[in-house]
Amino acid sequence: MDFANLGAQLNAGTILPEGVVILTLLVILVGDLIVGRTSSRWTPYVAIAGLVGSLTALFYQWDISDPIGFLGGFNSDALSIVFRGIIALSAAVTIPMAIRYIEQSGTSLAEFLVILLTATLGGMFLAGADELVMIFVSLETLSISSYLLTGYMKRDPRSNEAALKYLLIGAASSAIFLYGVSLLYGLSGGETNLNAIASNIVAQGSEPPIGLVIALVFVIAGIAFKIAAVPFHQWTPDVYEGSPTPVVAFLSVGSKAAGFALAIRLLVTAFPLVADEWRFVFTALAVLSMVLGNVVALAQTSMKRMLAYSSIGQAGFVMIGLIVGTDAGYASMVFYMLVYLFMNLGGFTCVILFSLRTGTDQISEYSGLYQKDPLLTLGLSVCLLSLGGIPPLAGFFGKLYLFWAGWQAGAYGLVLVGLVTSVISIYYYIRVVKMMVVKEPQEMSDAVKNYPEVRWTLPGMRPLQVSLVLAVVATSLAGILSNPLFTLANNSVTNTPLLQSSVAMTQDAGAPVQLADAEINQ
Amino acid sequence: MNQGIDLQGSFVQALIDLGIPAGSAKALWLPLPMVLMLIAATVSIFVVVWLERKISAAAQQRIGPEYAGPLGTLQAVADGMKLVFKEDIIPAKSDPLLFTLGPVIVVIPVLLSFLIVPFGQNLVITDIGVGIFLWIALSSIAPIGLLMAGYSSNNKYSLLGGLRAAAQSISYEIPMALAVLAVVMMSNSLSTIDIVQQQSGHGVIGWNIIRQPVGFLIFWIAALAECERLPFDLPEAEEELVAGYQTEYTGMKFGLFYVGSYVNLVLSALLVAILYLGGWDFPIPIEMLANWLGVSETTPWLQIIMASLGVMMTLFKAYLLVFIAILMRWTVPRVRIDQLLDFGWKFLLPVSLVNLLLTAGLKLALPFAFGG
Amino acid sequence: MNLAEGVQLVSLLLLSAMMLGAALGVVLLSNIVYSAFLLGGVFVSISGLYILLNAGFVAAAQVLIYVGAVNVLILFGIMLVNKQRDFTPIPNAWIGKLATGVVCLGLFALLGAMVLGTPWALSTEAAAGDAAIMLIGEHFFSDFLLPFELASILLLMALVGAIILARREFLPDEDLDQPADQVLTLPERPRELVSAGSTGNTADESGDR
Repeated sequence: MDFANLGAQLNAGTILPEGVVILTLLVILVGDLIVGRTSSRWTPYVAIAGLVGSLTALFYQWDISDPIGFLGGFNSDALSIVFRGIIALSAAVTIPMAIRYIEQSGTSLAEFLVILLTATLGGMFLAGADELVMIFVSLETLSISSYLLTGYMKRDPRSNEAALKYLLIGAASSAIFLYGVSLLYGLSGGETNLNAIASNIVAQGSEPPIGLVIALVFVIAGIAFKIAAVPFHQWTPDVYEGSPTPVVAFLSVGSKAAGFALAIRLLVTAFPLVADEWRFVFTALAVLSMVLGNVVALAQTSMKRMLAYSSIGQAGFVMIGLIVGTDAGYASMVFYMLVYLFMNLGGFTCVILFSLRTGTDQISEYSGLYQKDPLLTLGLSVCLLSLGGIPPLAGFFGKLYLFWAGWQAGAYGLVLVGLVTSVISIYYYIRVVKMMVVKEPQEMSDAVKNYPEVRWTLPGMRPLQVSLVLAVVATSLAGILSNPLFTLANNSVTNTPLLQSSVAMTQDAGAPVQLADAEINQ
Repeated sequence: MNQGIDLQGSFVQALIDLGIPAGSAKALWLPLPMVLMLIAATVSIFVVVWLERKISAAAQQRIGPEYAGPLGTLQAVADGMKLVFKEDIIPAKSDPLLFTLGPVIVVIPVLLSFLIVPFGQNLVITDIGVGIFLWIALSSIAPIGLLMAGYSSNNKYSLLGGLRAAAQSISYEIPMALAVLAVVMMSNSLSTIDIVQQQSGHGVIGWNIIRQPVGFLIFWIAALAECERLPFDLPEAEEELVAGYQTEYTGMKFGLFYVGSYVNLVLSALLVAILYLGGWDFPIPIEMLANWLGVSETTPWLQIIMASLGVMMTLFKAYLLVFIAILMRWTVPRVRIDQLLDFGWKFLLPVSLVNLLLTAGLKLALPFAFGG
Repeated sequence: MNLAEGVQLVSLLLLSAMMLGAALGVVLLSNIVYSAFLLGGVFVSISGLYILLNAGFVAAAQVLIYVGAVNVLILFGIMLVNKQRDFTPIPNAWIGKLATGVVCLGLFALLGAMVLGTPWALSTEAAAGDAAIMLIGEHFFSDFLLPFELASILLLMALVGAIILARREFLPDEDLDQPADQVLTLPERPRELVSAGSTGNTADESGDR
C-alpha cells in the first residue's frame, strides 16, 4: 500500500484538537517525570493551556469541508465539534478547582491531570467516533480513566468503594454494550462503519430483524449507564458521594456529554429501522429519570448525593430533546448541555470550596453560611437556582427551549412530566439556598461557626476563585445574553448532515413521537 | 533454494506402492513425526541430564556418575526408573485433583511446542503460519500449571514458589516476545522455516546473531528465566523455599516437572539456534562448497548429506547453548526476586523495545541487510 | 464425509462440550480457585474453536492474552488476597438462585430464538488462513488506525493508573511523627526505603554484566 497516498486519505487534520490534548498529556507526564514533585506548580496551567488550544483548534474546524477522517473512523461534523468543545471545556473548568483539592489530599497532581486529560480525550473521540471499534475503544478510554479518577483518593475508603462499584457496574455495562454492538456487526454482514451498517441492514428488507431490537436494547443499556438514566443509575449516588469532588464535576458534565453525543450518533445513524422503538425506550428512560431523580433528591442530606440525583433528573430533561428528534430538539440538547456545564460545574466548585474549608458536605452544615462567606453563598445560590430553572438565569432558558421543542413536536406528556418534576426540583434547590441565606446567626451550624477566615492567597485557591467567578458569571449572563450560544447550538444541528437527514426522515414518518407519547399517557 | 527431501511424499508413495489406499497411507504417516519427536524429546532429556551431571561434576572437580553405563551415560535412565517406581504420595489436606493436574499442564505445552521446531527444510512436524508465535502462546500456559501445583500442595513454600514462578514467567515473556518480534520483522514471517531460510545462504555472516546481538542476549536471558535455570531459579531456590512448587511432589509427578524443565531447556536452546544461529544452516555455505567441488546441488547423495548435516548442525548448536546454560549454573550466583523483577521490567523491557525500534529503523534504512 | 470433516465435527463437539462444561463450572462452583482455573479451560476451548475456524493467529493470541496474561493475573489476585473461607449460608438463598436461573434461562431462550430467527448475512469469502496476519496488519494501519493508536494512549494511561493505585504512598510528615508502635505495624516501610536504593544499584550491575 502506498503510504503517501494513505496519508492523504486519512485526513488526519480532523483529529487536531485531540492531538493537542495528547501532546499536552505527554508533556505533563514526561515533564513531571523529569522535574519531580515541584512540577505541580506549572502542570495544571499547561493542561488548561492545552485544553484551550484544543478548543481553538475546534473553533477553526467549524467550517471544515471534509469532516470524515481516518477512512470513516472519525467524523468531525458540527455536532461532534460542539460536543467535543463541551467536553474539553468541562475539563478545562474542572482543573482549576482540582488543584487545591488534590494538593490538600496529599496525592500527586500530575498523574491526576494525565488521567483527567485521557478521560477528556476518550470523551472527545467518542463524540466523533463513527465506527464501532472506534466507539468501543474511546468509550473504554473514557470509562477506564473515570474508574481510575474515582479511586484516586486511595486512602479514603469511600473513594475505594466508589471506584469498585463504578468499575464493576461499568464493566458489566460495557460488556452488554459490546454484545449489542457485535450483534450489529453480525446483522450488517461484517460492517463496522455506522452508515454502512444502517444501509446494509436496510438493504436486507424493510422488516427489522429481531436481532436488531435486541442489539438496540443492549446498546441503550450501555449508553444509559454513561448518562446515568434510571434504571441504570444506581452507581451514581454512591460514586458521586465517594469520589473526589472535581472528578464528580467532570463525570457529571464531560462524561455525560460524551454519552449524549454517542447516543445521538449511534442511535440516529445505525438504528433508522427501529427509530420508533428507541424513541419509546428513551421516553420511558426520560420519564423515569425525571421523576425518580428529582423526587429522591428531595430526601438527600448530603450535598453531593443531592447533586447526583439532580444530575439524574437533568439527564432526563436533556433526553426530551433526543426523543423529539427535530432540529429544535437536538439544538435544545446542545444548548442545555452548554448552560448545564457552567451551572453544574459552578455548583461543584462551591461544594469543593465549602468542603475544603469545613471538611463536610452535609446540607445542614451550610446553614447561615451567608454571614461568613457571601461570595460562596452567592455563587452556590446562583448555580442552584439556575439548575432549578429560575427565570433570569441560564438554566431557565435551557429548560424553556427544551420544553418548547418538545411541545412543538407534540410530546405533550413528556413536557408535562418535565414541568412538574422541575417544579419539584426547585423545592430542593431552594431549600439549600434558604438554609444558607435566611438562617439567623444563632441557627448557624457548627461548621459555619468555625468557618476559617476567607483567604484566597493560599496556594491553589486563586484558580478556584477564578473558576467560581467564571462559572457564576457565565451562569447569570448566559441567560440574558443567550443568543450566541443559541445560534451556536442551532448551527451545529443545521450544519450536521447526519441530523438533517434523520430529521427529514422523522417528519416523513409522521411524528412517531406522538405515538410513543400516547402510550405514556394511557 | 532447493526443497530438500520430501520425507512425507516418499513415505506415502512407498505405502501406496505396497497396495495401501492413499487415505490410509496419509493417516499412517500422520502420527509418525509426532511419535518421533516425542522420542527425540525424551532422549534429549537423558543427554541433557547426563551432560548436566558430568559438567557440574567437572566444574566442581568431581568425577560425576560413572558406574551406570559407560561414563555414566545411563544414570539418567536409572534416575527415571527410580522415579517411576517411587510411591506416589498425595499429601493430606492437599487438593488431589489440582495436585495431579499441575505437572501435566506444565509439561504438555512444552511438548506441544516441538510442533514448530524445524531440523531441516522439511523436517518439521508442521510449518504453520503463526509458527514462533504459537510457541510464545504455549509457553504462557505453563504458569497456570505452576500456580496450580503451588496452590494445591497446601504448603507455603509451594505457594510462594508457584507465585514466584508465575511472576517470573510473565515478566520475562514480554522482553522475549519483543526480541522474537524483531527477528520476525526481519524475516517478514512468523514461520520458523522462513526465519531460518532468511538467515541461510551466506554462512555465519547471514545469521541473526550478527544482525541482532542485543536481541540474542535478551532472548537468551529471558529463555533462561523462563526455564527457571540459574541465575533465575528462584522459584525452586533451595535455601529459601526448599524446592518451591515441587516441594510436596514425589514419584512420577515430580518426574514430570523434571522432564518439563529439561525439555524446556532443550526447546529454548533449539529455538535460540533457529532464531539467531541459522538453524540447520552450515557456518560455511554448503552450496559454495559444492560449487567448488563441482557437484550439482540436486545430486541425491549431496542432498542426503546436507539433510543429515542440517539435523546435526541444529542439534550441535542447541547443545552448545545447553552447555553454556549448565556452565552458567556453576558460575553465576542467584539473583533476588526483587532484582529479578526489576531487571525484567526496568532493564530488559526498555532495551528490547529500543531494539525493536532500532530494527524497524534499520529495516527501512538498509533493506538489503535487514530483510526490507 | 471424509476424514477431515469427521475430525472437524468431533473436535467441534468436544471443544463445545469442554467450553460449556468449564463455563458452567466457573459460574456454579463455590470454590473460587476452581472457577479461576476453569476459566482458563474456557479460554483454551475458545482458542480451539478459532483454530477450527481457520484463524490460527487469533487462536494463538487468545491463548497468549487470555490464558497467559488475564487468567494468570486473576489467579495471582485470588492467591495473594486472602485465604479461602466458607461463607455463612444465607437463609432462603435458593430464591435468589432460582430467580437468577430463571432470568438466565429466559435470556438464553431470547438470544437463542434471536440467533435462530435472524437471517445472518454470512460472508462467502474463504477464510484467510495464514494470510490473516497480513490482513490484520493492513487493517491496523488503514481503516482501524485511529482505534489502534488510541489503544496505545489507553494502555499508557492504564499503566500510569495501575502504578498509582499500587504504589506505596510517599509518606507525609505527620505519619513519621507517630509513635514507634505505629511503625511496628508496617515493618516493611523502613526496610523498603533501604532496599529501594540498593535495588536500583543491583539492577544496574546485573544490566552491566
